[in-house]
Amino acid sequence: MRETILEVSHLSYLYEGEHEALHDVSVSIKRGEQIAVIGSNGAGKSTFFLNLNGVLTPKEGAVIYEGQAVGRSRKELNRLREHVGIVFQDADSQIIASTVYQEAAFGPMNLGLSREEVKERTDRALRYMDLEAMKDRPPHYLSGGEKKRVSIADILAMKPEVIIFDEPTASLDPVNTAMLEEVLVKLGKEGRTLLVSTHDVDFVYRWAERVLVFEGGRILADGAPEEIFRDSQVLKKAHLKKPVLLEVTEFLVRKGLLGEGLYPHTVEELQKYF
Amino acid sequence: MSDKRAGHSHGSLSIDQYAYGSAMRSWNPSFKIITAAVFLVCVIAMDRLPVSLLVLFFMALTVMAGGRLSPLRYLRLMAVPLAFIILGSIAVAFDFSLSRGGDYCLFLGFFYISATGKSLLEAGSLIVKAFSAVSCLYLITLTTPMGEIVGFFRKLHVPKLLVELMYMIYRFIFILYDSERKMTVAARSRLGYHSLKASWYSFGRIFSNLLVVSMRRAGAYYDALESRCYNGDLRFWEDKKPVRPLQVLWALALGALILALRLFVG
Repeated sequence: MRETILEVSHLSYLYEGEHEALHDVSVSIKRGEQIAVIGSNGAGKSTFFLNLNGVLTPKEGAVIYEGQAVGRSRKELNRLREHVGIVFQDADSQIIASTVYQEAAFGPMNLGLSREEVKERTDRALRYMDLEAMKDRPPHYLSGGEKKRVSIADILAMKPEVIIFDEPTASLDPVNTAMLEEVLVKLGKEGRTLLVSTHDVDFVYRWAERVLVFEGGRILADGAPEEIFRDSQVLKKAHLKKPVLLEVTEFLVRKGLLGEGLYPHTVEELQKYF
Repeated sequence: MSDKRAGHSHGSLSIDQYAYGSAMRSWNPSFKIITAAVFLVCVIAMDRLPVSLLVLFFMALTVMAGGRLSPLRYLRLMAVPLAFIILGSIAVAFDFSLSRGGDYCLFLGFFYISATGKSLLEAGSLIVKAFSAVSCLYLITLTTPMGEIVGFFRKLHVPKLLVELMYMIYRFIFILYDSERKMTVAARSRLGYHSLKASWYSFGRIFSNLLVVSMRRAGAYYDALESRCYNGDLRFWEDKKPVRPLQVLWALALGALILALRLFVG
């Protein structure tokens, strides 16, 4: 079994005097897991992410990285932030520098690395996201998809163990959505631990190996996609739709065309059974 | 290519785009800024028509040929301060009085506008001097992106707070500009500008909304900064751009020409 890399135990978080944004959340994430985080807006996904990366510190409970509870000192928080990166939903709220190169180099610069090391990491991240040709361009004249790629390169340059994508496909066109999925698959194959929040259940079904469902600041369900999406209680409570492929699979099983217990996650997998 | 996509190609933002596209971007920013500043001081301190003319042509030529900016764009940008400069020189060129005087005189009902040959020449050289000074500043702004100019201020040890504010303001101009444009389009689509009264109303609403938008943005921005290990110190990567011999030669040539003019023309 894979080792646990990041763990959250009994975490609660409160936004200034208001209702609780997260309540008693416990989850343990293993190295290399591909996790989708779903749930309606305001269910606590973003707050959960910000806690995972140390931007927000929990009111109760703890975040445990590689077996060590993360304290509140700047040093410990920065260690967490270095190893757990977030690609924010809105690239414009993340991009700060005035050229693509400076932007991708911002994280490594903050890590206090040598000039050569910063350059090496930045070059590699830009190459990974196919941004070398526009490295001297200002981010504010890039298109939405290009900005998204820059915001991913930002995080890759920090070489985090865990990468969180907060609704990465929001406001992306189909071409860029496909590009993003490719990147996610590629990163997954390289063994990175990924957490992706999304509303696209079909994407979740074909990509994720584990699903966390948030509802009202709690984790409503945690399991493999075929478990989660077959649980009508969960679907109802979290206002989720069933993935089309699962519907088709269930229909085929009912008609006796497909054996029970088979859950293909992609159309290609389904075709293999025939 | 990028201007079309983003649609910011009009107005003063074009200066920003020209700077990014300039072929002189590879020049060392500190070198550009210091030389331009030195020649700016020369123009103002020497206050000689030939010097002003020389610097004006030299700077314009450098930006157009060295930076590959089309003459049409350059002239259009030069026209921006035209109105101010002309208005300013009118006061120098002409004298308003109730009695006749000067070399040229025009009677307008109950007062005279007059000018002397000397005053006209003075106004002329003032105009050239002003444009010459503008050309020095354009050498900086049309070839050096804002980030590099701010980087120069950091090297000068301008207080950190100011330098970081400059970075942030620069980045935010584009974000706010985008938000404003979207809101204006949305208001227009709902007839928000169909009358003068409605226009003022929409204008006010949009600007109060912009405040809310910027506050929210600022919060999101800070979170994103923190998540990338921001420690209260904005540090950006700066490319090493060595000063090349040809560039030094360029500056020395202008210096020598100015010196020669002062020696032989006066």
